[in-house]
Amino acid sequence: MAVAVGIDLGTTNTVVAAVRDEVVTTLSDSDGERIFPSVVSFHPSGSVLVGRAALDRRLIDAPNTIYSVKRLIGRPWDSPEVQQARAQLPFELREGPKSGTVVVARGEHFTLPEISAFVLRQAKAVAEAALGEPVERAVITVPANFNDLQRAATKTAGRLAGLDVMRILNEPTAAALAYGQPDHGRERIAVFDLGGGTFDVSLLDLADDVFEVLATAGDTALGGDDIDVIVAERMVEDMLSKHRFDARTMPAGFARLRILGEQIKRALSASDEHQLEVDDFVPGNRGASVKWRFRMTRPELEWASLVIVERALTVCQRALESAGLVPNQIDRIILVGGATRMPMVARKVEQFFGRAPTVRINPDEVVALGAAIQADLLDRSPKRTSIPASHPRIDEQSVVAVRPSAAPSLDVPDLPIVGVHSSFPPAARSKSAPASEPPIELDLGDTALGPALVLPPLPPLPQLPALPSRRAPPSPAASRPALAPAAVPAPGARPKVATSTAIRRGAKRRGPLLIDVTPLSLSVETAGGFCDVLIDANMPIPCDRTRSFGTAKDGQTSVHLRVAQGEGRRFADNTLLGELELSGLRAAPRGAVEIAVIFEIDADGMLNVRARDVRTGNETAARIQLVGAQVDAADLDAMRARQVAHPLAARGPR
Amino acid sequence: MAITEALSLFLRSLETKSYYEILRVDPDADSAAIQAAFHAFSRVYHPDEHVDSPPEASGVAADIFKRAVEAYRCLSRPLNRERYDRGLKRGRLRLEPGRPSTAPPPAVARTLETLARTLEGMAFAQKADRLLATGNLDEARVELAGACKCEPYNHELSERLHLLYEALALGGA
Repeated sequence: MAVAVGIDLGTTNTVVAAVRDEVVTTLSDSDGERIFPSVVSFHPSGSVLVGRAALDRRLIDAPNTIYSVKRLIGRPWDSPEVQQARAQLPFELREGPKSGTVVVARGEHFTLPEISAFVLRQAKAVAEAALGEPVERAVITVPANFNDLQRAATKTAGRLAGLDVMRILNEPTAAALAYGQPDHGRERIAVFDLGGGTFDVSLLDLADDVFEVLATAGDTALGGDDIDVIVAERMVEDMLSKHRFDARTMPAGFARLRILGEQIKRALSASDEHQLEVDDFVPGNRGASVKWRFRMTRPELEWASLVIVERALTVCQRALESAGLVPNQIDRIILVGGATRMPMVARKVEQFFGRAPTVRINPDEVVALGAAIQADLLDRSPKRTSIPASHPRIDEQSVVAVRPSAAPSLDVPDLPIVGVHSSFPPAARSKSAPASEPPIELDLGDTALGPALVLPPLPPLPQLPALPSRRAPPSPAASRPALAPAAVPAPGARPKVATSTAIRRGAKRRGPLLIDVTPLSLSVETAGGFCDVLIDANMPIPCDRTRSFGTAKDGQTSVHLRVAQGEGRRFADNTLLGELELSGLRAAPRGAVEIAVIFEIDADGMLNVRARDVRTGNETAARIQLVGAQVDAADLDAMRARQVAHPLAARGPR
Repeated sequence: MAITEALSLFLRSLETKSYYEILRVDPDADSAAIQAAFHAFSRVYHPDEHVDSPPEASGVAADIFKRAVEAYRCLSRPLNRERYDRGLKRGRLRLEPGRPSTAPPPAVARTLETLARTLEGMAFAQKADRLLATGNLDEARVELAGACKCEPYNHELSERLHLLYEALALGGA
């Protein structure tokens, strides 16, 4: 009886969650940690460390400790992102086959999906240990703005980790699913997802038991990590002026400052000022260490990181324009991602939308929780059909305290930061950073717990192929969801999942239906290097578009097309997905052969192409030669073999 | 199997239906009604509603759903809807019925210069190549037309000119 899980494979952290007994829970490892760093370290012993144990090696074994892979996955070698990362990251990147990127660690080459596969294997192992049963199927989340290549690479990573990837789900959509049905009737929401390395905003209409994404926009290279770098740069300046020492010249020096920068950023979400003291960093006279103190105030941090937040708001504007909406038409704004804990983010979001944002579910866990709900909805194993399921409740541990005070949902600075930073090396540990997971306040008094809703039984599905009765909404307003009288535990108590009251209902219908969109326009190249757009951005998925191509010469037996994703008018400004070769056409005079090419964006947001001869109706061999991400069976076997050769170790031999 | 056949039958029936008929809305339905209709349709035909059906059935459901997306997308954008309504009066059921023969772009490697066979033609073609590289289609067309005038017998050049005209038409649309 395998369980399907949801995995939030983040740039900096990974979270795995599952629905058990109608409650969706983040799964914790043997140390009780529910979030682990997306860091992979290749140990001299040949084993691979993932998570906290790997993070600890980021300073002592920098060249073999790999992180931030999500920023690079699915990008061609010559892309600016990869080239920039090459200069910044302390591990070695090289050009791989098919213009892809490989990581070199301990003399071995790994493609980026292989690195992510190690992280996913860890997620799988955590889930299996927590659930006590095998985990074979998963919904894996990606930034909404990920293109086809990035999605394909993520899916490959899942397969390498031994998972059947049921769905590649957009992170903001997952978050919306975790928040669940609106309290009353319908609602238009915005999900503002500022993660470690990526920013997404999605606008959704929640109505009629359907979650429809209206528009999404994002920046796959914008996140909290950028703020860490900004702080680290401040530190470099400070060091230079005080000690005439440039940390950037030291191997892994800047990497260490980034870690310290992250620590300061986190601390300044809770306090107005933070100081750290490092005594083994700055070499003074004859290489002896000198004490170095660095102080930063919250206004300083906010001023420095304003540019990041402003960039995110520009993306919000773009999404709104695409949906034909203005900011005050949004009924609710949900904050997702660790970086939204910065008080300034909530403040700026409120200024932009004219409404205070909501943080009811831990912003680090909400995406994984939503992914788990979707995994449960898509699960077709026999046990699901026998047990009527409701929209699962969110485990109380992941619910964030909401105070019914004057500004109820603006309490971002007070949010508990759930055990993420307990593993910095002692020298780098700051005084005010909590050493372990702080207790989570439970103040559920009169708080409406959205996810704990009882869904009314819906009318049975109409007989196919007939459509539902003409224009009748599926659920009459009279039977709107009622609030469940949730069993509220005493404040401070950590209820065990097993004791949570499961909500049951009679109908077989479970959960809302998600209708997501494709984030980017899909186009083919025309003469002169322009784009002929086939599928617009923000088109609901799955969707397709048929386009016919004729031969231009007598006896021409193949047609070449180039396909790209992006919003640029010129083809070269967009991300090339690949070349499509329609070969084996029958020889005929020019124009006599007409090939209908069907471009499909599937429910994972990925491109599939089929082609057929319009006159004969025969399927034509359509071969799409993708850049970088495409793997054939032989590649996959080699990568699988490398996974097998590297067992995951819980901890490195000390 | 029965469900797969039923769905296939329904999918085929969509070929003869207008977008309004697919979504089951009145021709004067407002955007809220169209959205509600699309949601109701999705609850039945979205492939995720068929996870318990055989895989072929959910594949057909996906194809049905894609037709609804096409209809919804068209009818929920006023400009497209106007254009569609005009076409519908002339019996066109789809906004863009599998648009006929768009010629493929020229092979990237072959520049116009390599196609020209006379010195004068080559001079024109060279200029056209440079203009194409900067994306200046209109002036490239003028130069290429010049090359074609020098070499009226050169079919490859005139084909390229034809392609350029099509590209200009696309860009202007």
